[in-house]
Amino acid sequence: MTTTQTPPAPPNPPVAPYRSTVVPPGRDGFPQLLRAEWTKLRTVRRWNLTLLGAVLLTILISLFAASSGKVETSGEKRGPAPTGPGGIQILDSFRYVHRSLPGDGTLTVRVDRLVGQGETRLSGWAKAGLLLKKSTAQGAPYAAVMVTPGHGVRFQHDFVHDTAGSEGDGVATARWLRLVRDGTRITGYESADGSGWQRVGSADVPGLDGTVQAGLFVTSPMVTRMERSFGAVSVDSRPARATAEFGQVAVSGTQGDWRHTGVGGRLPAGAGESEGAGTSTGTGGAFTVTGSGDIAPAVQDMDLGATSLSGTQLGLVLIAALGALFVTAEYRRGMIRTTFAASPRRGRVLVAKAAVVGAVTFVAGLVASVVSFVIGQPMLRANGHKPPQFAELHFTDGPVLRAVAGSGVLLALIAVLALGLGALLRRTAPAIATVVVLFVAPLVLVSILPLGLSRFLQQVTPVAGFAIQETRTRYGHVDSLCLPEDGCYPQGPWLGLGMLALYVAVVLALAVWRVRRRDV
Amino acid sequence: METDADAGTVQVKGLRKRFGSVTALDGLSFTLTPGQVTGFVGPNGAGKSTTLRIVLGLDAADDGEALIGGRPYRALSTPLQEVGALLDAGAVHPSRRGRDHLLWLAHSHRIPVRRVDEVLEQVGLASASRRRAGGYSLGMRQRLGIAAALLGDPPVLLLDEPVNGLDPEGIRWIRGFLKSLAREGRTVLVSSHLMSELEDSADHLVVIGRGRVIADTGVRELLAAASGDRVALRTSARTEAMTLLAAAGATVAATDRDALTVSGVNAEKVVQLLAGAGVPFSEVSAHRATLEEAYMELTGDALEFAAPPVTGTEAS
Repeated sequence: MTTTQTPPAPPNPPVAPYRSTVVPPGRDGFPQLLRAEWTKLRTVRRWNLTLLGAVLLTILISLFAASSGKVETSGEKRGPAPTGPGGIQILDSFRYVHRSLPGDGTLTVRVDRLVGQGETRLSGWAKAGLLLKKSTAQGAPYAAVMVTPGHGVRFQHDFVHDTAGSEGDGVATARWLRLVRDGTRITGYESADGSGWQRVGSADVPGLDGTVQAGLFVTSPMVTRMERSFGAVSVDSRPARATAEFGQVAVSGTQGDWRHTGVGGRLPAGAGESEGAGTSTGTGGAFTVTGSGDIAPAVQDMDLGATSLSGTQLGLVLIAALGALFVTAEYRRGMIRTTFAASPRRGRVLVAKAAVVGAVTFVAGLVASVVSFVIGQPMLRANGHKPPQFAELHFTDGPVLRAVAGSGVLLALIAVLALGLGALLRRTAPAIATVVVLFVAPLVLVSILPLGLSRFLQQVTPVAGFAIQETRTRYGHVDSLCLPEDGCYPQGPWLGLGMLALYVAVVLALAVWRVRRRDV
Repeated sequence: METDADAGTVQVKGLRKRFGSVTALDGLSFTLTPGQVTGFVGPNGAGKSTTLRIVLGLDAADDGEALIGGRPYRALSTPLQEVGALLDAGAVHPSRRGRDHLLWLAHSHRIPVRRVDEVLEQVGLASASRRRAGGYSLGMRQRLGIAAALLGDPPVLLLDEPVNGLDPEGIRWIRGFLKSLAREGRTVLVSSHLMSELEDSADHLVVIGRGRVIADTGVRELLAAASGDRVALRTSARTEAMTLLAAAGATVAATDRDALTVSGVNAEKVVQLLAGAGVPFSEVSAHRATLEEAYMELTGDALEFAAPPVTGTEAS
């Protein structure tokens, strides 16, 4: 070491200022910041373990959820569930009064009345009208124009497609309907008086080629009543029968006699009122038709995709801890000063931190959700969640990809939210506690609070982000219960994730603003 | 852009900073020039760390400014290569290895990785660099902090209490090290609340108390001023000596049964007077103040009067 007995040299300015010859001119651009923050993240073993723990916890809880629910199928085995065009599961039961239509043609009818049978009130989606169908087999392509008690006049085809006509006044007054076939182009019209016609909808239905069936139909979906209090839900579904009176039936291009068919009418013995069964009477110009069932895509109460991803709800706690610690650990020991001295543009530092922790937790979340889904689905099927009641989900299905990748995004957003809160609060425990209150509390509350309040919470709290895990397709023209405890978010996946992203953006912006102004 | 005249300087101009009702800095001004080790001294709470935080752009001053080479810190494009700072040796994540702590700093400026090993070698931490910083002694953390400050090979080094926690060997090392850094043309500021730590290493001193500069002076000038013309005298005839010297215009204070401190007359005159009057004495020596004494004098006044007394000469 240097000896120190020489007296200090008297300050002799000007001394030539030091110029480094050792270190080349560097840069402190954003890529450098990203790299520095990545080095920080990967060099703390505890954080790596936290991340690994989050992945394992997510998988474990997901598999636990997948293995815990058992479904017993009672009674006779049903045949394969009916599937419509595109392979989706469908309901296809109705009373049909029909004739053959080999070529182009037109059907016109006046629906005089549509009423329920017995004590049960009609569903808003009971249907009566005109229907073209390739055959009377369930799942055959179709196109129809109809009146409904709750949703006005509709033009629908091939189960998932729905176009609204006039709202009208429900089924209180008689309504004229017309269906025109021109090749495979089917067009539906409505009229209040049978002379002025309005187009409702039109579609090219490739399946409706050659000879098709054409006629009148009536169907009425189950009426569901639900009672829900403090986590206990009782759902009461009853079949309903609707009767419609048709007048002024006029057809052109049809052949043969009127035939009366209960489509999808065969049910296991003892299953109560048989769907699709019904009665129909009349000839020529007037018919009275009674039917039960529905023509629609099947909606499942349980979301198998979301169930096999439910570990995210607990995994988020560790992910949030990592996000918060990534900034609060620096505040705790004063290392934040080293950080901000090295990079005085503090807003960029925070954004770089968010990007790094977001990217890392996205990858971790993605790994966790892929593994959870791939292992969870066979477990669910082994427990009875299989066709025909439950559609089999495939990894490459659009909604599944959205849910699996979305779970990664969800966890990444939660990590960034925790990071922002950590930068605002500067302490670990309050930051993590805030995230837990923001997420876990609503997740618990939505299953015990009244439905309206629960749905409100699902939409306005950060929990909304979990909507991305839904794999069920929801249709506007099918009633579904959409219970919070079934993981159903009323606003749909993207709006839900968007709400969470909004929270994250606001918190991160606040944190950037605050960190730039505050002394450290 | 910085001008050549400003290169390597640190200018602190009229800094004021309040924390609530407490005035931490009350119009602090000084300038650091290249080639010197400047001691930045003051009692705990005098505002040393606050000053450094403001210079580093971490805290905002209520008034005044701090410039590095003519520019505010926040305007520097590669701060690590212009200013090396050690603020708090404990500011390291305990789970991170010493080398990794330097690695992220290096990555933030695209400084080559070999430089990390270089500075570790330089501060004598190479053998411990792959251990977790949580297991480091305070002295090792100081060395790591110094290594971090050196990483960008900057012309300006600001070190807050770097001697704290070092063992005697480490203290000897850092004194020489600081001087060698200054000899290379660097501007080196070392803060301390113990003047004795700076005795052998500082060329220049900025002494602050209660947020103001009490003294901004060279070490030699300060020592000369503090020593004054005091003379230590040992005599068996204390009363006679006191009477005689007081009559000659000196100020005399008894420090022991047979010891006196005389100021106002120099040693030669004391000997002359005593010998002329036949007063016996066994020892006369010109008193040489230590830096510590000079400092106590300064800060003692500052604490009593809260106003800068006249000390030393204007340095350079």
